[in-house]
Amino acid sequence: MEWRHRHVIDLDTWDRSDLQFIMEQSRSMDELLDRPIKKVPALRGKLVVNLFFEASTRTRVSFELAEKFLSADVVNWSASGSSTGKGETLRDTAWTLEAMGADAVVIRHGAVGAADYLARKLRKSSVFNGGDGAHAHPTQALLDLYTAWKKLGDLDGMKMAMIGDVLHSRVARSDIIAFNRMGVKVELSGPATLMPRDTHALGAEFREDPRDALKGADIVYLLRIQRERQEEGMFPSLDEYHQFFGADDELLEFARPGALVMHPGPINRGVEISSTVADGAQSMILGQVRSGVALRMALLFVCLGGANQ
Amino acid sequence: MRTLLRNAILFNGSSMEDDPTDILIVDGTIEKICSGTDAGQADRSWDLCGLVLCPGFIDLHCHLRDPGQEWREDIISGSLAGAAGGYTTLVCMPNTDPPIDSPALVRYVLEKSGYGKGTRVLPAGCVSKGRKGKTLAEMGKMALAGAVLFTDDGSPVGDSNLLRLALQYSSRLGVRIMEHPEDSSLAFGAQVNDGICSTFSGLKGWPTAAEAADISRGISLCRDTGVPIHFTHVSSGESIEVLRSAKYSGLPVTCDVTPHHLSLAEGSVISSGYDGVFKVNPPLRSISDKDSLWEGIADGTVDAIATDHAPYHLDEKDLPFQEASFGIASLECAVAAVLNEWHRRGKPFPMERLLSLFTSGPSSILPKEWKWLGKIETGSPADLTVLDPELEREVDVKTWKSKARLSPWDGERLKGWPVMTLVMGETVHIDRESFKGRG
Amino acid sequence: MWVFNLFFGGEGVLKDKTRVMTGKDMERVLKRMSHEILERNRGLGDMVIVGIQRRGVYLANRIRDIFNTIESVRIPTGVLDITLYRDDLTLLHDQPVVHSTSIPEDVNARKILLVDDVLYTGRTIRAALDALMDLGRPSCVQLAVLVDRGHRELPIHPDYVGRTVPTSRNEVVEVRVSELDGKDEVVICEREDS
Repeated sequence: MEWRHRHVIDLDTWDRSDLQFIMEQSRSMDELLDRPIKKVPALRGKLVVNLFFEASTRTRVSFELAEKFLSADVVNWSASGSSTGKGETLRDTAWTLEAMGADAVVIRHGAVGAADYLARKLRKSSVFNGGDGAHAHPTQALLDLYTAWKKLGDLDGMKMAMIGDVLHSRVARSDIIAFNRMGVKVELSGPATLMPRDTHALGAEFREDPRDALKGADIVYLLRIQRERQEEGMFPSLDEYHQFFGADDELLEFARPGALVMHPGPINRGVEISSTVADGAQSMILGQVRSGVALRMALLFVCLGGANQ
Repeated sequence: MRTLLRNAILFNGSSMEDDPTDILIVDGTIEKICSGTDAGQADRSWDLCGLVLCPGFIDLHCHLRDPGQEWREDIISGSLAGAAGGYTTLVCMPNTDPPIDSPALVRYVLEKSGYGKGTRVLPAGCVSKGRKGKTLAEMGKMALAGAVLFTDDGSPVGDSNLLRLALQYSSRLGVRIMEHPEDSSLAFGAQVNDGICSTFSGLKGWPTAAEAADISRGISLCRDTGVPIHFTHVSSGESIEVLRSAKYSGLPVTCDVTPHHLSLAEGSVISSGYDGVFKVNPPLRSISDKDSLWEGIADGTVDAIATDHAPYHLDEKDLPFQEASFGIASLECAVAAVLNEWHRRGKPFPMERLLSLFTSGPSSILPKEWKWLGKIETGSPADLTVLDPELEREVDVKTWKSKARLSPWDGERLKGWPVMTLVMGETVHIDRESFKGRG
Repeated sequence: MWVFNLFFGGEGVLKDKTRVMTGKDMERVLKRMSHEILERNRGLGDMVIVGIQRRGVYLANRIRDIFNTIESVRIPTGVLDITLYRDDLTLLHDQPVVHSTSIPEDVNARKILLVDDVLYTGRTIRAALDALMDLGRPSCVQLAVLVDRGHRELPIHPDYVGRTVPTSRNEVVEVRVSELDGKDEVVICEREDS
């Protein structure tokens, strides 16, 4: 196996064999999570910096656990606001980190293109995109894919319904690419004001009625509704959203029986998901959290563990 | 001083002469247009065999950032950059700090442009006081001082009543209103074209409707007042269509397009990994929008090509895409970018059509006293641009006279370059390599 | 390029030089080793067999089957992947692939029989011991290898050896098993510059 990716910025450059390899490696890492001692020495001596410009406890903790389980040295570097807000540009931050000897940088940033930018500025370190604006969140997409793959096996020919705010969702953009490449058909639904211009180009079909999107779906993926969007006037009220697009038992009826329910978290109960669905037997939400650690271990190991550096 | 330019392919502003032509310039004025002239008549003589001699190129729209933002550009550096880019006349935009909204600032630009040995710089004045879009600026006084266009460029004149008043009031001044066509509420927070680019990037989309809606409003006001209006940096097929039908119905509307919208498209934003160098207002559009602009040139809907040269310091552009400033600096390769694309498209119309958009097209939009620009006539001042349409050369921003140090075309090989620029008979730019052995 | 290959086991083409064991030889040797293990341990109580990924796994299964035949007991057998414990990750040419680790029993207070195909520098066994210790605290660990080719770099000694084969450092000993390679044999190969 030859691994071509020094960075993980976006999945648009990944092919199916890359995805398949990461799924298999994640499964090996998943086994470690059941052990009494979860720590292995694979990345001993490697310095990983978690550079977070946006608060994101889940993604940071997940990366941090993955890094620690692989024995990497971990530094959490949080900065608030934009990269220019504090007077230091992202470029200078990047070079500072490299001067400190970072082997990898995990970056979460509110600006689209921040991870690409960082990768362009770093000469040696690997960059892991922990989310850049509404653009991409590749590790979330991979952990979602891994969660589904672990549960359902080969995903080729399956269908995923994705409901919610696709327009502002980096998770949606990356998930559509990842699931598409594995042969999954994706159908979207949600208020038309929360859909990107050209969903078809993105690789997904838009259905005005969520029941149509769910028809025969093996996976039901619910996106988080940010309250700000309602305040901006993108849709009239959270209550109205829930009535038409919230996943409750009734809506779930339209999917294939036993379809997996996924959500990137944190969930808004009573908005995009009802409690009965969130806590129901089909919910994979906590499984996704565990998968996130295994998947990130696999990515870190694959990108930093070999001689590719 | 007598300068002789011999054996040129002459483009007189509207058509190409069939035979090689000579031009004799005496003390800055075109003395004679003839052929077979003896080189001995002149103090200095150039053989322009195979080169195209045109009226000096005019850029209706560039940002020279002076006064107030001289770290980005100033009138001197901008005028030298213009000369190197083949331009003899630049119209600089008034969105400076403070904005050019008074006769004093108009005179400042004119006076400072005289200090450099570059291109002539003519100022555009603001439509509204302080460019705030509330009340009319002193357009009459500015026109007297030498303002050649009125615009709040950088922003539209959002208040429709103010735009109507501006058209009515400026009518007797003979200075045209140039509208930056943008519906601000539709473009609010937008970063890239609303299409493939917004879909894939998650960046807020900028619908073409934002431009077309404002153009439609402007056309209505033009019909209402009967006063000409010019729309700058038109970027979409939809806008071209609206303008085409307005022109067809005989309304005095004009427009310009930019070299970047003619040669680049939104795909570059994605394929560059969201490089801020491709961030511009209005945004790079779809391939089909780009094709429509070329059709607009072919059928005469487009009146001029204007650069919208918008220089920034590297630190304002070398940032994650979403944080980078809007603007592409292009003065020194704008002509080449357009000619290159014209070649690439297999020369879809004769070169005259294209050249008129740098010469007679823009001059027709300027006030009466500048109508001589854009033509080559005996007795006129010798503002001339010499082109080598076949010359291939790489863009290298390191050699630029402009203070801008990045460009979407940096490192790219373009075909068709200006090689000599004369302003009032003075050589303000000459490509030494091209003229080796031609003296 | 050749320097790289020499040190890091890169792209040089491997060419078979001599066959040191046939399938029949392997069968006989594994039987003999199984008897030694039985004799030394006075039975198989508490034992867990652990094969090191990848070919050690198949040898471990053979030993389990032999025990089953001669003692009629089925000894729990697991697999151990040591990739994440290797000390030469940055020297590898190919992307290291993590395989499964799965041991059916709790290793605490059990007697572990670690099985691998070739014992060379001892570094794999060092990694395997670390991996094993992270899974629990065995009462003892014994090491069985099919081939000991010398050149130890760490103080590690096998308890059961199929055959000792003197080699030079630019040779490679390949143990082939029918499950993966189509047939059973042990071959000494030599690297040729590609």
